[in-house]
Amino acid sequence: MADSFTLPLRPIHEKRERPDTLPVEIAQINNQWGSFREVNEDVLRNKIAEEEEKDGMDEVDESGQDATDLDSTERLEQLYKRRAEITQFAMQAHMETMFALDFVSLLLSKQSPRQAETSMSAFLKQVAPLGSLNAEVVNPPPKPESTTKDIAAVSRGWRIQNFNAAANKLLQAASRLETEVASETRYWNEVLAVKNKGWKISRLPREKQALGVQYGFLEATPVFRDRGLASLRRAEDGALLLDEGLIPSKARYVRVRVIQDGRLTGSSKPTRSSLDGDRTIEDRILQARDTVYEEELFHELVREARAIASLGVTTRQNLIQIPASDDLEVLLDLVDTDENTLQPEHDITQQGTSLAEGLAHTIRILLAYAHRQNLRRRTLLPPPLTPKTRSIPEQQLIRPALAYIKHMSHVRWLQSLLKDLFGVLQSADLELPAYTTRVFSTVRQRQTSPDPKVETLVGQFLTPLLSTFNGKILTPRGSFSIAIHTNLSSPPFGTTFDVSFNMPKYSDLQSPGKISHRDDVEAAITHLLLLDVVFTISSKSSPRSDRDQVKRTWEAIYPQHGELLLSPSKSEKRKKMKIALSRHELSLEIYTVRCIDGTGRGKCEHPSYHSVPHTWKPSIAGSPNQPSLMDFVSKV
Amino acid sequence: MHEQSLFASVPVHQHHELLQQLAGLTAMQPRHCLERRLIFKAYRKPGLAGRVGATQDLQQADLQRLNKMLNGNMYYTQVVGPVSERDFGSTAPVDRDIQMAGVDDSKPSGTSSPSYDYERQQWKLEFRDIPEAGTRSAVTSRLMSSATLPRGDVVQAMNAWGYHFTTEYLVEGDMFVLNDIAIFLHRVLHYPGGDELNTPRRQLPALKDMVLFEKSGSYVLQAFIIVQDGSNQETMKTASQHLFGLREQLKSAVLLEQADRLSLDTRAK
Repeated sequence: MADSFTLPLRPIHEKRERPDTLPVEIAQINNQWGSFREVNEDVLRNKIAEEEEKDGMDEVDESGQDATDLDSTERLEQLYKRRAEITQFAMQAHMETMFALDFVSLLLSKQSPRQAETSMSAFLKQVAPLGSLNAEVVNPPPKPESTTKDIAAVSRGWRIQNFNAAANKLLQAASRLETEVASETRYWNEVLAVKNKGWKISRLPREKQALGVQYGFLEATPVFRDRGLASLRRAEDGALLLDEGLIPSKARYVRVRVIQDGRLTGSSKPTRSSLDGDRTIEDRILQARDTVYEEELFHELVREARAIASLGVTTRQNLIQIPASDDLEVLLDLVDTDENTLQPEHDITQQGTSLAEGLAHTIRILLAYAHRQNLRRRTLLPPPLTPKTRSIPEQQLIRPALAYIKHMSHVRWLQSLLKDLFGVLQSADLELPAYTTRVFSTVRQRQTSPDPKVETLVGQFLTPLLSTFNGKILTPRGSFSIAIHTNLSSPPFGTTFDVSFNMPKYSDLQSPGKISHRDDVEAAITHLLLLDVVFTISSKSSPRSDRDQVKRTWEAIYPQHGELLLSPSKSEKRKKMKIALSRHELSLEIYTVRCIDGTGRGKCEHPSYHSVPHTWKPSIAGSPNQPSLMDFVSKV
Repeated sequence: MHEQSLFASVPVHQHHELLQQLAGLTAMQPRHCLERRLIFKAYRKPGLAGRVGATQDLQQADLQRLNKMLNGNMYYTQVVGPVSERDFGSTAPVDRDIQMAGVDDSKPSGTSSPSYDYERQQWKLEFRDIPEAGTRSAVTSRLMSSATLPRGDVVQAMNAWGYHFTTEYLVEGDMFVLNDIAIFLHRVLHYPGGDELNTPRRQLPALKDMVLFEKSGSYVLQAFIIVQDGSNQETMKTASQHLFGLREQLKSAVLLEQADRLSLDTRAK
């Protein structure tokens, strides 16, 4: 804008464009070359040839001279000569100037002798006394009438011409100002519209004349906080331009993809579809804000992913791979919003999509929460200044979400395990009381904290996750409880199962306590239920005992192996029962033993004559010919 | 720890505007603070001051140090307790015995009616030395230390440490934080009815009855940085550089300057 700005009232010096230059030139040409009538092709050709020849001669001459005269001494001599010439000219000029100065000084010395004396040369002062020269105005001889007329006409024309030029310049300036005002009005109206929408408008710190809009997040990492300020420039026509500096104008977002069993089952959509073409300034500010948020999000995700590499998270240049649970894998990457129109995937499922969308929302909410925490930390009384700089801890973005996924996976696994085991027992007509499940039974924080509700809500999500399973077993007054802790934020990392049970019969039995492996948990629970079954069988007396007048009971000799022994009776051999419980079946086998105490094993055990291993499976639970465990036991 | 600070006086008509300016500068809302401040004076316990007799054995180094400590300067110390506006002009909690028993510890006091419980008041001991003399830097720098005290009545504990209660006053103000710098815009209030008490008040009068110490109601702006290691010249320099940066930023609003050293003298004569 500044270069097209010309001050309309500056002195005019455009004399060359006067309309009478052409006649003058024509007269010149006529004088120099003769009339135009004599010009024809031959003459011109001759002229051209002549000129070329001359040029060629000159060149040849010069080159020849260069070749021959390129003697250093001669050149030097020439140089000295030229220099002397220049000096001579300069001296002469100086002398003439001094003469002129002396003359003027002498002339002035009549009027102001003191001042004139200073510029007089010493020689002149000696020779001529001060004030010896005077000047007077003489009336010029009267000019002829025609000359004065001419002069008047010329000056009049000259003046008119200047007035015209000045008027033009003024009109131009006026129209230019008009457009300028219009575009300024438009610019400021748009700035005002942006401000009225609630954006923060301020001067740029580096460039005091420019306005900027603050759309970033004050609590973001410094790099991204500083990028949250863009200047509002004015286009030629006054439209508002958002100058985002180095930020790519493309909208980008963090894409969450869920891979189940090696197939892509879900992918998150961009929060705001990129609009091309006519976008209002607010759309562009919003897009810039979103992009800066997404980039910060990805930056923080990568930082966190590096910190939790021990959980199997791998990072590449623009990709984070998180093995979430069993066969679920989550991929995070930063992509352009319009890149999402990939080839349609056939494996996309509703569940996968909702998981991906949920994860995408979770990490964004957690980043917003982290911003709030940053504000809180920033406004606390600062800790004492120390020479070492405090490192910024990684934000918790992936870990809570990952903990949730892992926790849910463990909870589902435990639920299915219990369902299987209870199903097996049910198929044998052993009715276990239902157990209670409290998923996410983390201790609720007291609502006395002054934090806003939403922060408390998110804060709970960051605490270690806990789910509890409580239930009763067949043994009277017996109970079990399993607590699943998942904690990825602070050591000890990972999931632990806290299995404890209360069996009055085996009071010296220790609860297994904290277990971190699924197989061990399964073994512990199965063992517990086996003990429970064994105890139930041994506590029920056999109905056939009334015939022999002796109370016959199965005695649990090795309950931990599931072995029971039938109390001795006169008529029968000792019998031994072996129960095995697994997730899939409950099997029972009867042996006849010869050993007196019944504890002997090995060759003196024989499978009972009428008993093949009897199994109960939940799949055939409905078959009517299946006797219940208790019936079977009592028949033996 | 060392405290480096700069001070400015803020007339009451500028107070609101300065609050706005500071809120903009620090990008945070002011945190309103009300603090009870009890002043304790150290006294020399009889019998500990001098060493009598048995001068034949050489004084051990730690004994020497103890002597130096006991016979050195005596200082006034402050005990600071944060209070809230609800605590003023309220009565003592009626169910204090229940609270004392710890039955209902979690229940916040004063949910039903505002009450101030002196027994549950938090306290912090704050020691400030006289500012260092002859420092070349243009900030007030002094040795400081603070420690958390048990809740409730502190006079007994302080007496046991050789301090007796002198007087108390109230500080009202707003706190801002700019990176390492804490900015505290505050003024001092006195309790109505003079200082005839020689124990801290168990009840607080209504806030509007408090008497301004400075009659015009003007505020003091204190910008300070606490430095962990005062002997580390580099951090001390960084801290004063930060303070000078703030002074430049606030130049058009207030003039932050070094305080008169002797007016911050905490020595007990």
